[in-house]
Amino acid sequence: MSVMTTGGSGGSAAGALYDVIELILDRGLVIDVFVRVSLVGIEVLTIDARVVVASIDTYLRFAEKCGRLDLTGGRQPMGLPDLVGAVTGGGAERQVKGALPGPREAIAETLEGLATPDKTSDR
Amino acid sequence: MSTYVYGFAPATHPMPIDGLTGVGAERAPVRLIREDGLVAVVSDAPEGLRAKRRDLEAHERVLESLCAAGTVMPMRFGMVASDDATVQAELTSKAEKYADLLAKLNDHVELNVKGVHDEDALLGDLLQRHAELRERNDALRAVGGGDEQDRIAFGEQVSAAVEERRVQEAKRLVAQLESHATRVRLGPSVEGCFVNASFLVANSDREAFDAAVTALRDAANGYADVRVFGPLPPYSFVEVDGADEADG
Repeated sequence: MSVMTTGGSGGSAAGALYDVIELILDRGLVIDVFVRVSLVGIEVLTIDARVVVASIDTYLRFAEKCGRLDLTGGRQPMGLPDLVGAVTGGGAERQVKGALPGPREAIAETLEGLATPDKTSDR
Repeated sequence: MSTYVYGFAPATHPMPIDGLTGVGAERAPVRLIREDGLVAVVSDAPEGLRAKRRDLEAHERVLESLCAAGTVMPMRFGMVASDDATVQAELTSKAEKYADLLAKLNDHVELNVKGVHDEDALLGDLLQRHAELRERNDALRAVGGGDEQDRIAFGEQVSAAVEERRVQEAKRLVAQLESHATRVRLGPSVEGCFVNASFLVANSDREAFDAAVTALRDAANGYADVRVFGPLPPYSFVEVDGADEADG
């Protein structure tokens, strides 16, 4: 397969397929007058975001992990960088450069129902 | 015999289908149905085809081969028409809409980005930044973990903070990358990933996009793993009648 993956172990055809399996199964064009073939035993790791409820097991796991973390000596704050500034509170200040050409739609407050309007190509 | 459909393309697509095989145990040869300035990429599907992993692979392989040579609108996996005439009728009935969509996809690829937090790094950072979490954690440690009720309550607080961070960072990741893309669409939620976002990127923007991903990955080193998959057939950008905003 020619799918290239970066920053990970991707390489085998099966692995590459699995990385984007939710797109092949849940995206793509659907034609009403066509029939959808049933699938046999394919595990899909997608979850319905609307019904995700963290379980008691998750809470206990978090509590246990936090209890075991070695926080002595402090840590550098971590996180993904904001667009117009350094890593939030980060020790290693990084300016992620990149002009923002043209008007952009603001990101919705919640991620559900994020609209994807076509942007005018002004490049 | 039914007709399995992989995707639609403009009639001008070179369609290098020689030797290309598709779904089914017999790996039926890929063939074309032409109608109204469009071409459908199909193969014979046995009746009652029940798809397996090898069929998913075939579907993706056919599309990737053809996307390398030109613009193709991919079908969702598993689309079967009762016969060729049904496919022709579909092309005819929406010829203009499909042509418009193909024009928008021209010279673009889909790149899918998934982010996964290193859980220990994330929890450590949350404890660092949220005094009330840190203090509660310390208090529980002081009593050897505390009883189950206390741990569940604390874990629930941590979980809320984790969720907040995931949402925040998904937005940040999208914000960093979308300026290099023509369109963005969130993918279905995937277990363990704080973000699953697909970007429709013009070929001329790919270098800048890749550089932005690299910068993001470097900034997140040790804290989150950011992975890019593609170029992919543009599964996420083929809605015909308006954006499918409910998904993701």
